[in-house]
This record gives sequence, C-alpha cells and structure tokens, in this order.
Amino acid sequence: MLNLGLLKPELLLASLALAVMLADMILPPARSRWLYHLAWLSAAVTLGAVVFGLGKTSAQGAGSLWVVDSFGQFFKITTLLAAVLCLMLTLDYKALPARHAGTFAALMLFSTAGLMFLVSASDLLLIFVALELVSISSFILAGFERTNPKSNEGAMKYFLFGAFSSAIMVFGISLYFGAVGSTKLSAASAAPGPLLILALVLLLLGFGFKASLAPMHFWVPDAYEGAPTPVTTFLSVAPKLATFAVLLRVYATIFPVAQYELQALVALMAGMTMTVGNFTAFFQEDAKRLLAYSSIAQAGYLLIGVAVGTPLGLEGVMMYAFIYVSMNIGAFAVVQAVGEEGGYGLEAFDGLSKRSLGLALTMTFCLLSLAGIPPLAGFMGKLYIFSSAMEAGRVWLAVVGVVNSVASVYFYFRIAHRMFFLAPRNPAPLRVGPYVYGGLAAALAGVLFFGVMPEPLIAGVRASAHLLP
Amino acid sequence: MLSLIVWSPLVGALIVLMLPKEKVRAIQTVSFAAAGLSLLASLALLLQFDRGTAAMQFVERWMWIPSLNIQYFLGVDGLSYPLVLLTTFMSVIALVSSLGIKDRVKEYFFWFLLLEVGMLGVFVALDLVLFYVFWELTLVPMYFLIGVWGGPKKEFAAIKFFLYTLSGSVFMLLAILAMYFKAAPHTFDMLELMKAQAAWAPRFQILAFLGLYFGMAIKIPAFPFHTWLPLAHVEAPTPISVILAAVLLKMGVYGLLRIAYGLTPLGFAWFLPALVVIAVINIVYGALCAMAQTDMKKMVAYSSVNHMGYCLLGIAGMTSIGFSGAILQMVNHGIITGALFLLVGVVYDRAHTRDVSAFGGLALRLPVYSGLMAMTCFASLGLPGLAGFISEFMCFLGAFPAWKWATTISVLGIIATAAFFLRMIQKVFLGAFNEKWAGMEDMTPRELVSIVPLALIMVWFGIHPKWPLDLMNATVAQLLGK
Repeated sequence: MLNLGLLKPELLLASLALAVMLADMILPPARSRWLYHLAWLSAAVTLGAVVFGLGKTSAQGAGSLWVVDSFGQFFKITTLLAAVLCLMLTLDYKALPARHAGTFAALMLFSTAGLMFLVSASDLLLIFVALELVSISSFILAGFERTNPKSNEGAMKYFLFGAFSSAIMVFGISLYFGAVGSTKLSAASAAPGPLLILALVLLLLGFGFKASLAPMHFWVPDAYEGAPTPVTTFLSVAPKLATFAVLLRVYATIFPVAQYELQALVALMAGMTMTVGNFTAFFQEDAKRLLAYSSIAQAGYLLIGVAVGTPLGLEGVMMYAFIYVSMNIGAFAVVQAVGEEGGYGLEAFDGLSKRSLGLALTMTFCLLSLAGIPPLAGFMGKLYIFSSAMEAGRVWLAVVGVVNSVASVYFYFRIAHRMFFLAPRNPAPLRVGPYVYGGLAAALAGVLFFGVMPEPLIAGVRASAHLLP
Repeated sequence: MLSLIVWSPLVGALIVLMLPKEKVRAIQTVSFAAAGLSLLASLALLLQFDRGTAAMQFVERWMWIPSLNIQYFLGVDGLSYPLVLLTTFMSVIALVSSLGIKDRVKEYFFWFLLLEVGMLGVFVALDLVLFYVFWELTLVPMYFLIGVWGGPKKEFAAIKFFLYTLSGSVFMLLAILAMYFKAAPHTFDMLELMKAQAAWAPRFQILAFLGLYFGMAIKIPAFPFHTWLPLAHVEAPTPISVILAAVLLKMGVYGLLRIAYGLTPLGFAWFLPALVVIAVINIVYGALCAMAQTDMKKMVAYSSVNHMGYCLLGIAGMTSIGFSGAILQMVNHGIITGALFLLVGVVYDRAHTRDVSAFGGLALRLPVYSGLMAMTCFASLGLPGLAGFISEFMCFLGAFPAWKWATTISVLGIIATAAFFLRMIQKVFLGAFNEKWAGMEDMTPRELVSIVPLALIMVWFGIHPKWPLDLMNATVAQLLGK
C-alpha cells in the first residue's frame, strides 16, 4: 500500500519550504524579514497538522518504507516545536546576511522535513536519505556566516566528519543487507550472527554522529561555536532528538540491545559520552562551546534509556527529549541575547543579574534544569531515566549518571557565578529582542511547569510510547 | 494547615520578586509577614497537636504524579513537629538579623524565603520524591545567599557547599529509587515503605542504607564529611550562618532517624558500631578543632560538629532516652548555636574582626552583650540549668548502656568543649580592656529582639524540659517499638 495520505504533514512542510524559496525571489530585499515570519509560520502550521492528526491513523506507508505511529508523531511534535522556536530566535539574530534570508529559512525547513521523515522511517534506505537531507542542509546552515572564519571552519569540520560517518553508515547498511536480505528494519527475517551485529554496531556509530555520542562527537564544539546561534540552537536540539527516535526504534524495539549483546557497548558509550561532555566542559571559556559540551553530556543521559532498553527507558528518553527542548533552547536564547552584544566569551555574562535580573534568573533556571536540580523539569526527566536504569539493575550506569550530574553543576554554575557574583563590564541594561523574549518565555514556562506538574507530559509520553513494527 | 506553613514563604518570595528593588521597607514587611504567618500557623498547631499518639497528624495527601505513584503527602509527628517549630521560629529570628543587610535587598529576601520553603518541606514531606525535591530546594538559595552576601572567600565556600551536598544527595536519590522498585506495589510513600521494608534482605538494606547515609552524613555533618561546614559557616552572612547551624544540619539528623533508620533498620543496625565511632570522633575532634581556632565564628562552627556528635551518640544508643535526647539536642543546638552566631555577628559588625585575641575586658563596657554571650556559651557547654545540659545528658545516658567506652570518651570530650568556650570568654570579656574598642556600643534594640527570645528559651528548656519532651515521647516510643 502506498498510503501517501500519511505523509501529509511532511509534504506540507516541504512545499511550504519551496514556497519560501520562491518568495525569496519575488520579495524585495527590504522585506526579507517576512521570510522568517513565513518560515516559522510554516513550521507552526505543520505542527498544527501533526497535532490535529494525532491518534487518527497508525499505519505503514509505501510498502514498508515508513510507519506513522504515535511514537513518531511524538518526536515530530518535539522537532517541530524546536524548529518554530529556533526560527523565532532567528528574527532577532542580526549577524545573518539579509540577502539570503529565504535560503536560510528554507534550509531550516528542509532540515526539519528531513527529521520528520527520519523519525517515521522503518527502512534503512529512507533513514539514510532523510539523514543526508538533514546533514546537507545543516552543513550549509553551519557555514552561513561566510565572512566569519570560525563559521567556515566549523562547517568544514562538520562536513568532513559527516561524510566520514555517512560512509560508515552505508557500510553498515550494506552489511545489514547481506545479513538480512533487504534494507527493511525487521528482525523477522534476520538471522542473529556476527554479520548482523557488526552491521548494527556500524549503524550505531553512524547515528552517533548525528546524536553527538562519544566517540563521534569531535565535530560538535567547533560546528556549534562557528554556526549562527539560532542554527547552533537548532542543531543541539532537533537532529539530536530525532536521531534518538531512530535509536529507540532500532535498538530498543526492533533489535533490542540485550538480545544482540550490544547492551554493554551502548552502556559504555552512554557513560563515555556523559563523562567526556561534562569533564571537557569544565575548561571552556566560550559560552557556545560550553553548551556544546553540555549537549554532548545530555546525549549521554538520553543514551542511558536506550542502553536499558525497557519500556521505562523508552518513556524516559521521550520525556527527557521533550523537556530538553525547552531547557536547551532557553539557555541558548540567553546566550544569543548576551553574545550578540558582548561576544560569546563567558566574560560577557559578568554581572548580568544587575543588568537584567529576569534574564539572569531564566538562564539560571535553564542551567539548573540541565543539571537536574529539582523542582525544575530536567530533574523529572533525569529521575525517569535514572529510575529506568535502577529498575533494570544497571546500578553502575545510574551511578555514573548522577556523578556526572554533580560534576555538571560546576561548569553550569561558572555562568551563574559570573551572572550573580561579578560586577558588570557594561552597566547599561541589556536590550533583548521581542522574539528572543517570546522564546525565553516559552522555554521558562516549560522548565517550570513540567518540573512542578510533570503528569500531563508523562501521560502524553505513555500514550505515545507505541511503536509499529 | 501544613501547606499554609510551607507555602506562605513561597507566596512571600513571589511578591518580593514583583516589588521594585528600591522599596526596601516593603520588601522587608512582606518577608516578615510571610515568615510570620508561617510561624503563627505552626504555633497554632500546638493547640491541636495530640501528644499521646505516634501517628502522623495534620495529614494532607493528594496524588501529585499518578503515573509514578508520587504523592503530595504531608504530615508531622513528634519527631518532625519540634523541628518545624524550630524552623519557623529561627527563620523569623534570622529575618530580624537580616534587617542589617543593605546590599541587593530584594534578591536576598527572595532567596531567603525560598530557602525557608525548602527547609519546612523537608520536615513535613512523607513522600520520598517530595522530600528529595524540598531537600534540594535548599541548595540553590543557600548557594546565592553565601556567594553574594558572604565573607572574603564566599564564592569558593558557596560552590563547595553546593557540590559537596549535592554529591551526597544524588546517592540518596539512587537509594530512594532502589527502594521504590523493591517495594510492591512500587511506592515512594514513607509509611508504606516502613511496612514493606520487613521483607527486604539485609544485603539490600545495607546498600540502601549506605546510599542514604552518604547523603545525610554530609548534611549532619558527620566525620569525615564535615569539611564544607567550617568554610560555609564562616563565610556566610550572620543570619545565614544561623539558619545553616540551626536548621540545615538538622535535616541530616532528621533524615537519618526518619528515613535511614525507618526504612532500612537492618542496614542501620549493621552500621551502628561505625556510627558510634563517628559520633565519638565528631565530639572529640570537633572540640579539639574548635579549641585551636582564633576566629570566634570558626570556633562556633566547629562546636556544631562537636554538638552533632552528641546527637549521633544519642541515636546510636538505640534507647528512648537517647532518641529523645538527640531530638531535643537538635532543637537546643539550633537555639543555642543560632544565638552564638548572632552574638559573634554583633561583635563583628562593630569591630570587623572576630579574632579572640583582638579583644579583652569587653565585660566592662558591654555588660548586656557579655552577659548574654556568657550565658549562651554556658548553655552550649552544658551547664546544668540551661537547655544544653538536659539534652547532652540524655544523649550520654541513652548511649551508656550499649556503648560504655565510647560514652566515657565522649564525656571527656565535654571538657574540651568547656575549655574552648571558657578560653574564649576569658580572652574576650575578662582581663584588661583593650582601649582600641573604647567607642564600642552595647547591643542595639534590633539585636536584643533577635537574641533575647533565644536566651529565654534556653532557660525555659533548661528548667522545664518536660514540655518539649512531651511532644516527642510517643513518637520515640513507636520508633523503637518496632
């Protein structure tokens, strides 16, 4: 069955992205800001379409290329929310060349469309194509500030690493084809053996690149530092979470890690990712690099849920993913507001509480949430993930997780320390654009609300944790 | 009613956040109203508090997160109610002392009230997740209160306090999760878990106990996890030192009794010999460290290590006298050490030094101050007739049947305690007057308002300890009765 109707939201988003490109040619350069408005509205409309279609259909499409199930819908909503927020942040980001506004906005939308395909894909072929759509758009976006050498450097590293990991992934797919006889993700026709396991390991490394898992994380700090801040925000959230959707689909459902003797490997990767991310973040002097390492560490926490592979772990990842959107975008929004005026060095945060107490408090709440301090949302997410590890008897993984959470407080509080304890270099109040304010308000609301009242989110996650084979 | 006690400071904090920062008087008024409401509500419970029952009273119970079976479950008994009273009372006392804060007033009172919410919540929460949330809620405000308004090494002290305490509490969290999954049906309800623990194997209980103990021991602080305390106490501004000593340390002992002892009794019994050794080290080592200090505030800080040792010793006795003594010692230590920190703050505000050898003969010029200071020191070192004596004596009495040698050594530790307090009194108040301080004034009304009530309670509990003991007797009997 073709079931093309299942693809409506993706088709809608892709055509709207093309429309943005066309509009770029028609609109006079002075009106280029309209394109950003058009872009976030497109993402919002698609979000509406996905939400409206929730629970209506749950089926496979185009033979077995993709499945539309509540699990995929959940991650589509997460991704689209991130896209809307990041596109809104773009409106207040001044370093972008106005001439290419349409290209920028359309690439963000294409990337988002690729992510939507990714979370629904149940065939390695579609997964690969979707990943490439995301990657190629992201390479261009990361290097969008052409006059900024750091942006070029980051994009180049990102591209080289991306090409390398694509090769690994394709190799994994070819081995998979050899073991299974098709590219469809299904354990039914697969004979468990060394070939299949090797294929799964190579695929894991390929996904690890997008999800910034150690040891495939080396591109992250440079690409994040150089990319325009809204792109960094987007890269740190949407592709990472969508890749986790694939990881869950492949390694927690179709090929459960425990059955293929991959549990130790995934657990080791989780521990390494957390530790590398947190302990390298100690030494960063640039806010974007610091948050880059922090986002590596966050991927490590998420991977605990995959390593555990139980229903509780699956729900934990979904819940943490949703919360991660609000806390990470909130933190990056403050970084953007501060960095555009005073540079991205940590010293730009000096005395922020005296210049804008609200901004400083919002940043503190987002950072505390990332560190997992109650009563903020990040704590509830971590509680869920760590309890899945405890339930499965993987106590050492939970211990590594909590020790890392404590260590992370140290570098998150380097920022808090500068904001509250040091004197401002420039005592004038900080001016914050209206769209950054909007993004911040949304993020803060999420961080506070889901910390105090996580029940709606947990109920939503439980209702969505159903995967079609 | 308990919700009113816990949440009224939060309402105050939110109102403070909305006030413009220039309106210092309004901010202070709102803070007093919020903390005062909390105090009045906790006092009003006295009228209805049933001293004859060990059951939880004033219970409030709703589902908070049904999916994980996490409840909003509050209640007090003879163990927690005295500590709730102590918290609401000491918060108001510390607020009086906070009127001296002139810098960034709005932020100060916001964090202070938030801190009070966390402290009260810890003592009334009967669901482990709720307990943990409140437990951690005290960290962030304390970090800012020490780090912004503290002394010269405040920033280091603040982050050390934060990281130290957090690293303990995350292991407590893992122990909590382990117990949750061990219980069938899965629950975080402390009372349910107390029933469920009978079926748990000793090995599991020992591991869970160690996780819990690690979190509590850092808070108490029990040797060898006490190193954050002198730094944090000394660097914190006076009102925050008061809160740290009077309430925050009690969270650790309370957790030890309520959770570690209540939920993993076999683990607790297994650890008991080590606990006695730790108690003795706390007493003797704390007293000796205090003796070596020339900074009065640091001396008082180490005296807290020493006094928490008495608490641990009383608990280790596993007798009703020992338990009652430990709970009473918590309250008394809160009152006495709170007063000591306030008194040290008084002299520091005037002289800007706390070095004992910088003073001399102050009794001549500051009779009121000297009298109060001497009385508080005597209460702290356990002079009969004042509060400290009763509880310390009960701790020793309770521990003696089981741990004769340990108690004997600890009693000798009292001599060291007496020595450092008397040496301080001698150097600061007696001897020749140091003319450098000729212009020093005696206590102001604000300082008297904050210290005199504490002094009165010291006398009251010293001659009539039956009143506080009656509050806790039934609960102590039930704690040991299982």
